[in-house]
Amino acid sequence: MTLRSRWIMIGAVTVMMVWLALPSFLPAPKAGEEHWWLPKKGMRLGLDLQGGIHWLLRVDQDAAVKRELEKVQSSIADAASDGKIELKSGEVKGDQLFLHGDVPGLRKLVEANAPNVDVDEEEGALVLKLKERWKRDAVERGAATALEVLRRRVDSVGVSEPIIAPQGNGRILVQMPGMKDPAAARQLIQATTFLEFKLVLDAAPNEEVLKAKYPKGIPDDQEIVTNANEGRKGKESEALLVPKKAVLSGDMLEDARMSYDRRNRPIIEFTWNSEGAKVFRDFTGQNIGHRLAAIIDGKVITAPTIQSKIGRNGEITGDFTRDEANNTAVQLRSGALPIPLVLEEERSVGPSLGADSIRDGVHASLVGAGLVFLFMGIYYSVTGMFANLALVVNVVILIGLMSSAGATMTLPGIAGVVLTVGMAVDSNVIIYERIREELRSGKTPRAAIGVGYARSFWTIFDAHVTALLSSVILFLIGRGPVQGFGVTLTIGLLASMFTALVVTRTLMDTVYGNHPERLRI
Amino acid sequence: MELFKAKTHIDFVRSMPFMVALSVAVIAASLLSIAVRGFNFSIDFVGGTVIDVQVPANATGTVDEGRMRTILDKLNQHDATIVRLGALDDREFRISLRGSQEEDRDLSVNILKAMNQDFGTEVVTKSVDSVGPRVGGELRRAGVLAILLSWIGILAYVWLRFEWQYAPGAVLALIHDVCFTAGLFSIFGWEFDMNVLAALLVIIGYSMNDTIVIYDRIRETVATRGTTELESVVNEAINATLSRTVLTSGLTQLVVVALLFLGGPVLRGFALALFIGILVGTYSSIYIASAVLIWLSRRYGHPVEAKKPERRARATRATS
Repeated sequence: MTLRSRWIMIGAVTVMMVWLALPSFLPAPKAGEEHWWLPKKGMRLGLDLQGGIHWLLRVDQDAAVKRELEKVQSSIADAASDGKIELKSGEVKGDQLFLHGDVPGLRKLVEANAPNVDVDEEEGALVLKLKERWKRDAVERGAATALEVLRRRVDSVGVSEPIIAPQGNGRILVQMPGMKDPAAARQLIQATTFLEFKLVLDAAPNEEVLKAKYPKGIPDDQEIVTNANEGRKGKESEALLVPKKAVLSGDMLEDARMSYDRRNRPIIEFTWNSEGAKVFRDFTGQNIGHRLAAIIDGKVITAPTIQSKIGRNGEITGDFTRDEANNTAVQLRSGALPIPLVLEEERSVGPSLGADSIRDGVHASLVGAGLVFLFMGIYYSVTGMFANLALVVNVVILIGLMSSAGATMTLPGIAGVVLTVGMAVDSNVIIYERIREELRSGKTPRAAIGVGYARSFWTIFDAHVTALLSSVILFLIGRGPVQGFGVTLTIGLLASMFTALVVTRTLMDTVYGNHPERLRI
Repeated sequence: MELFKAKTHIDFVRSMPFMVALSVAVIAASLLSIAVRGFNFSIDFVGGTVIDVQVPANATGTVDEGRMRTILDKLNQHDATIVRLGALDDREFRISLRGSQEEDRDLSVNILKAMNQDFGTEVVTKSVDSVGPRVGGELRRAGVLAILLSWIGILAYVWLRFEWQYAPGAVLALIHDVCFTAGLFSIFGWEFDMNVLAALLVIIGYSMNDTIVIYDRIRETVATRGTTELESVVNEAINATLSRTVLTSGLTQLVVVALLFLGGPVLRGFALALFIGILVGTYSSIYIASAVLIWLSRRYGHPVEAKKPERRARATRATS
C-alpha cells in the first residue's frame, strides 16, 4: 500500500470509530429527537457503574416436578371417573405420585394417558415418577413461562432497558438498571400472585372457633382461609370457610390497576375478559346476599356481601397502601409465576456507589495513561509521540467497536481500557528497542526501521495471540463485570495489533521517509 | 533517552540453578499455604451475603458496630462480620455473611428491614451482593477450568509456533506465576474475589508476552549461532531483550499502580494481584522459562534448523 492510501485508511478508521463512539458520550436523546446522523446505540453502562439490581434466578426443580405430577394426577382422576375405574386417593410425595385404588386398571389408564412417567408398584399403590427427560422439560417450560411473566412485571414497573434473558438449565438473568430498593424489587419475583373469588360458606373470628363448629372435620373440598389484616391494629381478624375450587381466578382477568375510592383510599380495579365476565355476572346474580371473598395468594383481602349483580368491572377495597395496591395490580395483571423461583445471585449497587466507581476508575485510568504517555514522550522523543498517537487511536478504536457492539462498560472494563494502553505500548517498545539495537550495530536509520518492524512482527503477533487466548477465556467464563473486562481486553488487543504495526509505521514513513537521518529514537 | 546505554552482559544462565531452587521453595510454600490455609474467598466463590449500608444522620441512638451486631443477633445471624467503612461520621458499614449454605432469598431484605426499624429511618443501601452456594461452587470450578484451559492453550500454541522444547518452559513459568500470586493471597489472607481470578488470567497473558519475546530472540540467535553454546545464546537473547522487558513491565506497572492507589476499593484486589503477577511474570520469563528450555534441549537435543517464522505474510512493508 502506498503511504497515501495508508493514511486514508487510518483516517477513515479513526473517523468511523469516533462516529461510532459518539452515542456513548452524548446524553441519550429523547424519543423522536434522535439525530439521524448518529448511530442508534452506544455502550451500556454496567450495573456496577450506573446502579441497579442484578439477579440470577432458577426455577425450583422440585416444585416444577411436583406441579407436573399434579397435572398427571388430575388427568388420571378425570380419566378414571370417565372409565369407571376406582381411584381411592392420590397424593404427591417428593418426586413421586402415589395412586391407590384399582391398581391394574389404573396402570392401563396411566400407560394410555401419561407418556411422561415411569410406572411402578409399591405396597398396593401405583407409584409414578416423572421421566428424566420430562423433568428437564418441565423445568425449561417453567423457565419460559417465568421469563414472560417477569418481562411483563418488570415492564409494568417502568424499568428502562432491563435485561431478562434465559441462561439455560432453568436459569434466568434479570438486570434492572436504576432499580434502587432490593426489598421493593422482591415483589417482582413473588412466587404466585393469584386472585381468586370464592363464596363464603361460613365465618368465625378465628380458625379455632371455626374448626370447633365442625367436629367431624372440614369437608375435603373446603378449606379455611384467614384475613390478611391479621395483626394489624384496629382490624378484626376473621377466618372463613370457603370451597377449594374458586368461582373465578386471576387467569380470566383482562386488566387490573390501582385506583382510588371516594374517600381517596387506594383500591384495585379489575376487568374480566368476556368469559370471566359471564361467569361473574351469573354467579353474583344467583348469590345476592351472600358474602364473596377476594383472595390474593391465599390471604383474604376483602369479603364483602354481594349487593347486586356485577359484570365485567369490579374493584377490591382492602386496607392497601398506595404501593401495595399498585404492586398487587401489577402482579395480577402479569399473571402468576407458576413455579417458584430461587434467587441464586443478587447484586445491587446504589447509584452513589456507581458514581464513585466511575470517578475512581476514570481518574486512575487518566493518571495511569498520562504517566505512560509522559514516559514514552521523554524516553523515545519524537517516535515516542508517534506511539502515543497510536495509543490514542487504539483507545478510540476500542471504544468505537464496543459502542457499535452495544457492549457493556463495567468498572473492571475501565481498568481493561487502561491496561490495554499499558500492554499496547509493549508492541511499540519491542519495535523501538529493536530499531535502536539495529542502529547500534551500524545499520542506516532507514534499514534499521525496516528491520525493526520486520523482525518484530512475529514476536508481536505471537504475544498477542497468547494474550488473546486468556482474554477470550475470561470473556467466556466470566460473569457480569468480569465478562465486560474480557470483552474490553479482547477488542483492545486486536486494535493494538493494528495501531502498533500500521499507525506508527505510517507516521515513521511519513516523517522519516525522505529524511531518515532525522530519526530520533 | 536510554536506560540501557551499553549492551548489558549479565550472566543470567549461571544464576539459574539458584533461582530455580528458590522458585521451587517459594512455590512449595505457596502450595502448602493454599492446601492448608486455603483462600479467603469472597462470597463470589463460597456464597453468602455482603451488604454495604450508610446510616443517615437522623438515626436514633448511637450508630456503631455494636448496635449493628444487636440487630443481626435478633435475626439469628451470629456469624456476621461487621466492619466500618470510611470515616467515623460517614456512618458506613459492611455486613458480611460468608458461606451461607441455603438460598435464603429474603435474608438481605430482612436485614435491611430490621435496620430501618431499629434506626427509625431509611438506611441507604450502597450495595447488596448475595450469591447462592450453588453459583459459588460453579464459579470456583469455572475459574479453575479457565486457568487450566489457558495453560493448555498456550502449551499447544507455543508447541505449534516453536520447537516442542520451548512449550513446557513457557507453561511452567505461567504455572509458577499463578501459584506465586495465588499463594501470596493465601498466605496473607487477602480476599480472593472474581476480580482477582480475572487478574490471574491477565497475568497469564502478560507473562506469556515476556516469554514469547525472549523465546523469539533465542530462536533467532540459534538460527545463526547453532546450539553448541546454548547457554551463551540464551544469555545473549535475554540481555538483548532486557531493556524491552524492563520497560514494558515498568510501563504496565505505572498503570497498575495508578489503579491500585486511585482505582477505588472495588479494584484494589485486582490491581494488587496484577502488581504481584507482573513482577513475578517478568522474573519467571527470564529464569524459569529459559532454564527449562536449556534443560530440555540438553537432554533431548535442540534442532539446529530451528523453525523459521514465516516472513511471507508481512503485515507492513516498506513502501518508500
